[in-house]
Amino acid sequence: MHNYGYTEDGKVGSLLDLRLWKRILTLCRSFVPGFIGAVLLSLILTVATLGMPRLMQVGIDGFMHGGSLSPEARISGLGRVAWEYAILIGLVFGAGFFQVVLLEWIGQMIMHRLRNRLFHHILGLKVRFFQQQPTGKLVTRLTNDIQNMHEMFTSVLVTLFNDLLKLTGILVALYLMNVRLAMLMTFFLPASLAVTLVFSRLARERFRAIRRQLARLNSFMQEAVANMAIVQIYGRRQKIVDEYTALCDGYLQRTFAQIRLFAGFFPLTEFMSALAVALILWYGGGEVLHKQLSLGQLVAFLSYMRLFFQPLRELSQKYSIVQSAMASAERIFQVLDTDEVLPVLKPVYRPKSIRGEVRFADVCFSYGKDAPVLRDLTFTLAPGKVSALVGSTGSGKSTLAGLLVRFYDPDTGRIFLDNVDLRRYPLPVLRTLVGIIMQEVFLLPDTVRENITAGADISDEEIDILARATGLAELLRRLPDGLNTVIGEGGVELSAGEKQLIAFVRVLAKKPGLLIFDEATAAIDTEGENILERAVEQGFHDRTVLVIAHRLSTVKRADHILVMDRGRIVEQGTHTELIKKNGIYAGLVRLDLHGDRE
Amino acid sequence: MKSISEKSATSRQALALLIPVFKRFRLRLFLGFSALLGVDFLQLIVPKILKKGIDSLADQSASPHTLFLLAALVLGIAACVALLRFVWRILIIGFSRILEKRLRVQLFTHLVRMDRSFYHRWSPGSLMAHAGNDLAAVQMACGMGMVAAADALVMSTASIGFMLAIDARLTLLALLPMPLLALSTWILSTKMHLHFSRVQEQFGRLTEFARNALVSISLVKGYCLEGAQERKFSELGRTYVRNNLRVAILQGLLHPMATLAGNIGMLLVLYFGGKMVIEAGMSLGSFVAFITYLAMLIWPMMAVGWVANLAQRGLTSLRRIATLLAEQPSLEDGMKTRIHRHPQAPWIRCDNLSFTYPGGKRPALYSINTAWFTGIYGIAGRSGSGKSTLCRLIVRLYPIDTGMLFLGGEDINQYSVAAIRKEFAYVGEQTALFSDTIYNNISFGLEGASKQQVETAAKAAAIHEYIIGLDMGYDAKVGEQGVKLSGGQRQRIALARALLSNRRILIIDNGLSALDVSTEQEVITNIRRQYQNRLVLLVSHRVNLLSRTREIILLDQGKIVAVGDHASLYATGGLYTTMVDKQQDHA
Repeated sequence: MHNYGYTEDGKVGSLLDLRLWKRILTLCRSFVPGFIGAVLLSLILTVATLGMPRLMQVGIDGFMHGGSLSPEARISGLGRVAWEYAILIGLVFGAGFFQVVLLEWIGQMIMHRLRNRLFHHILGLKVRFFQQQPTGKLVTRLTNDIQNMHEMFTSVLVTLFNDLLKLTGILVALYLMNVRLAMLMTFFLPASLAVTLVFSRLARERFRAIRRQLARLNSFMQEAVANMAIVQIYGRRQKIVDEYTALCDGYLQRTFAQIRLFAGFFPLTEFMSALAVALILWYGGGEVLHKQLSLGQLVAFLSYMRLFFQPLRELSQKYSIVQSAMASAERIFQVLDTDEVLPVLKPVYRPKSIRGEVRFADVCFSYGKDAPVLRDLTFTLAPGKVSALVGSTGSGKSTLAGLLVRFYDPDTGRIFLDNVDLRRYPLPVLRTLVGIIMQEVFLLPDTVRENITAGADISDEEIDILARATGLAELLRRLPDGLNTVIGEGGVELSAGEKQLIAFVRVLAKKPGLLIFDEATAAIDTEGENILERAVEQGFHDRTVLVIAHRLSTVKRADHILVMDRGRIVEQGTHTELIKKNGIYAGLVRLDLHGDRE
Repeated sequence: MKSISEKSATSRQALALLIPVFKRFRLRLFLGFSALLGVDFLQLIVPKILKKGIDSLADQSASPHTLFLLAALVLGIAACVALLRFVWRILIIGFSRILEKRLRVQLFTHLVRMDRSFYHRWSPGSLMAHAGNDLAAVQMACGMGMVAAADALVMSTASIGFMLAIDARLTLLALLPMPLLALSTWILSTKMHLHFSRVQEQFGRLTEFARNALVSISLVKGYCLEGAQERKFSELGRTYVRNNLRVAILQGLLHPMATLAGNIGMLLVLYFGGKMVIEAGMSLGSFVAFITYLAMLIWPMMAVGWVANLAQRGLTSLRRIATLLAEQPSLEDGMKTRIHRHPQAPWIRCDNLSFTYPGGKRPALYSINTAWFTGIYGIAGRSGSGKSTLCRLIVRLYPIDTGMLFLGGEDINQYSVAAIRKEFAYVGEQTALFSDTIYNNISFGLEGASKQQVETAAKAAAIHEYIIGLDMGYDAKVGEQGVKLSGGQRQRIALARALLSNRRILIIDNGLSALDVSTEQEVITNIRRQYQNRLVLLVSHRVNLLSRTREIILLDQGKIVAVGDHASLYATGGLYTTMVDKQQDHA
C-alpha cells in the first residue's frame, strides 16, 4: 500500500529548505511587479518613520535649543520642520494603507490560483488515492494549509524585509550619531533574538497542546450532542458531564501553561528595552557631558530604541507563521507531486454509442499489497441482456463494478467493451457510456434538477418522462419547489429511498449503453425494491445490465447469473441450471442470498 | 435549522451569569488589577526621571554619579514593572480562562438536560458555534478586554494629567485628534468584525464544498463533473478573495489611522510646543517629557475603540449563551418516581395516540390504539410511516398530552422522566457509538458493569467472537482512529449495550437491519431468551424477524392499518403480504 506520508502532527517545516523556498517563490513569479511595489512602499514607510525622530532632533537642536539665531528665525525654522514632519505623516499613512491592501491582494491571488490548481489536481487523481487518504486531510490541504501559506505571504515576506530594513536603518542612524553608544546598543540585537527564538519554540509547543485539547473537547461535545438520546435513555448524564469536565480541566491547564509563558516573555522584553533606556541615560548622558553627543542626539537615541524593540518582538510571531507555512507548503507540494492518473491508450476510441458487450480476460486485481481481490477473471456479458452477479461478502463484486467504469485498472489482464480495450476510451466518454448506481448514494447539495442532469444538457421534458416512468414524479410533487428544490445540507432532507431514486434517474438520464446496478441492501424498504424492476421494464430491455444482486427476485429474472467466490467466477448459467447443479449458488439461495449484508 | 429563538435573553440576564464567578474570584481580581495599576503608575514615573536627567544635562548640573543613580532607578522600576506584569497576566488572564471553563461546563451540563424538541430547534452546528466562538468572545472580553479597559483608563487619565501639569494649552492641542481616533477605531473595528465573520462564513462554505466534492469523488468521476466542480470551487474562492480584500482595506485604514492621530498630535506639539520653548521659556526637559507622555497616549486611545468592540461582541455572545441556558426541557416531570406495573395491565398502552412534531404541519402519528403485554411485538411499515416516531414517544423523547400513552397501567405523564428512562433500553438504526473503546461503549449501558457482564451481553449480541479476534480485543477503539466497524458490527455493539442494561422494556428501532440472516436469527433467539417475561418492541422490514413476533402492527402514514400475527396479516393480502412476497419470493 502506498504511504503518501502526510503526517499532520509534530511536523515542522524547516526554515532552511532551499528547494521548498524555490517552489514557493515560483508561485509568486507572476506577481513580481506587485512585490516590487510593496517593497517600494516599504522603503517609503521605513524612511518616513525613521525620519520623524530625526526631524524632532533637528527641531530641538537647531531651533529650540540653538542659541545664536533670532527668535523669529528660530520659529520660522521650526515651521519648516513642522511642514516636513507633516509630509512624513502623510507618507506613513498612505504607504501603510496601500501596502496592506496590495499585499493582501497579492497573497490572496497567489492562494486562489494555488487552491484551484490543487483542486484540479486532486480531482484528477485515481480513485485508489482517495481510498488511502482520509478526506479530512485532503480538505485540510485545500483550506487550512493554503490559509497558512497565505499568512506568510501577507504578514511575513514583506514585513520581514520591512523590519530588517528598519533595524538596519536604526543601526545606521545610531552609528552616525555616536559609534560607542551605538555599539553598546548593538548588543541588544543577539540578546533579544535569542530570547525571542526560545520563546517562539516554547509558545508553539504550548499552542499546539492547546489546539489538540480543544479539538478533543469539541469532538467530544459534538459526539455527545449527536448521541444525546442514547445518553439520556441510559441515564448516563453524569458520566458524560464528568468526562467533559475532565477534558475542560485539561484545557484549562494547557491555557495556563501558555499564560505563564507569555507572562514571562512580554515583561522580559520590556525589561530589556528599559535596560537600553537606562544605558542611554547613563552612558549617553556621560557622552553629553564630554561633548561627544548633543542633547538632541540623546533624545533621538531614546526614540530610536523604542522603534528598535518593536520588530524584534514581532519576530517571534512571524517565526512561527513561517514555520507552519513551510510545513503546509510541503504537504501541499506532496499532493501536487502525486502523479496518480489513469493513462489513456492510443489510438483513442470515441464511439457515440455502444452495444454493451463486456469481456474480462484473465483479470487480476488487488488493493495495494493486500491479498488479490480478483484472480484470473474471465467471462463475457452478452449485449442487451440482464446479468446478475452474486456471491458472499468480500468475493469482489463491487470491485468488479469499479473496474468497469475504470475507477481502477486491473493489475494484469484486460477488459474489453465492444471488443475495444477499456483503456482506449477517454474517461469522460467511458463514463457517459457506462452508468453505475452505487450502494452508497451521493447527492450534491444542489437542486434536484442539477443532481439529475449532473451538468449534462438534459431538458425538463426528458426528465419528466423519466420521472413518470420511475416514480420520481410522485416525489417531485411532494417537494416544495419540484425540480428546483435544493436538497442535502441546508435544503430538504431526503430519505435513503428517495436519494436512491434520484441517483437512479440520474443514471437513466445519461442513457448509458451499459448499466451497472449495485443493488442497495437493507436501507431501502420494500417499495424501493421495485425501482430496478420498473427500470428494466421501462426502456432497458435492449441494453446490457449488470446487477450486483442481493435479492432472489432480481436474480431469478436475470438472463444470466455469474456466481463469484473469492475473486473467481465459480459458476454461471440460468437460475434453473444453477439450482440443478446444487453448488454454491443453490447454497446461497437457501440462505436467501443475504450472505453479504455486512 | 435556524437557532434564533424568539425570546433572546436581555443584557441583564446575560451579565447575571458572570456575577457568581466574579464574586467567587474577587480577591484574585483585586490583586490582579492592583498589579495592573502598579505597572501603570511605575511606567508613568519613568518619563519623569528622563525629564530630570535631560534637564540636568541641559543646565549642566548633571554629573556621572547623578546619571548613574537615575539609570539605576530606571532599571529598578523596570524590574518591579516586569514582576507586576507577570502577576497581573496570570491573575486576570487566568481568571478569564477559569470563567470560560465554568461557562463551558455549565453550558454542557445544560445541554445534557435538554430533550429532543430542544435539539430540533438548535442544530448541532449552532451549538458547537456557541461553545466555540461565543465562549471565546466572552473570554476575550473578560480577559484582555478588561485589562485593556483598565489600562487605557488609567494610562490616559494619568498621561493627560501629567501633560496638563506641564502645559494645559499644549495638552488640548495634542489631544485634538484623539477623540477622532477612538471613534474611527470603534467604527472600523466593528465593521471589520462584520466583514471578518463574512470571510469566515465563506471559508466554511469553501471547506464544505471541497469536502463534499471529495467525499463523493466516485460520483464526480463517474459523471465527469470535474470541470463543473472546479468552476464552482473557483467561484467560491473568488468571493472569498473579495471578502478578504474588504477586510484588508479596513485593516489598512485601522492601523495607520492610530499612527496618524498620534503623529498629528506630535506635529502640533512640535510646532506649538517648540514655539513655547523658544518664546515662553518652557524647559527643554518639559518638552521632551511632554512628547513622551503623548506617545504613551496613543495606545490607550486605540484601545478605547478596540475595547468597545470587544465588549460589544462579548455581550452579544453572552446573551446568546444566556438564551441557550434559559431554555427549559419541554418534558414535564411527573410526581411518581417508581414505575409499578398493575397486574394484568399491559406494559404499554396507546389510547388514541396522536402526535405532531414541533414545527411539523401534518401529524406523524394519528389515533394509534394498541396494547403490548409480555413478549416480542413487531412494528412494520414503509419508511416514513411513523414507526420510529412511535418508539421515540414511548421512550419519552417528546412531550405528549395526558391520556394517550400508558406505562404499566398509569399515564406516562404521571412519572418523572428519569423513572421512565430507567425502564427502557433502545437500539436505533443509526447506531450511536462513542469514540471510545468497545468495552466502554458496551458498558455505557450499565453503570458499574463487571467484565463478565459485558462479555455475556456481547455474546448474546453475537459480537464477542469478533471483538476477541481484534488485536486490541475489547480495548480496541471505535471510530476514526480505531477499528472500522461495519454497519452490522456497530448495530451489534449497540445491541450488546442495550442487553447489558437489562431494562424491563427493549426497543429495537430497525436496529438489526444490517445483520445477515443467520446472525439475525441467533440474536433474536438470545433476545427472546433474555426477555422471556418482559417486553420487546421490534421495528423491522425483515419478514424473517417479524414472523417470530407475537403480534405485528402495520403502520401507514401514521395510522395503524393492520394488526395481527404473521400468518393472519399475511392472509389479509395487503401491504404486508406484498412485503412478504417480495422478500421470500413467493411470486
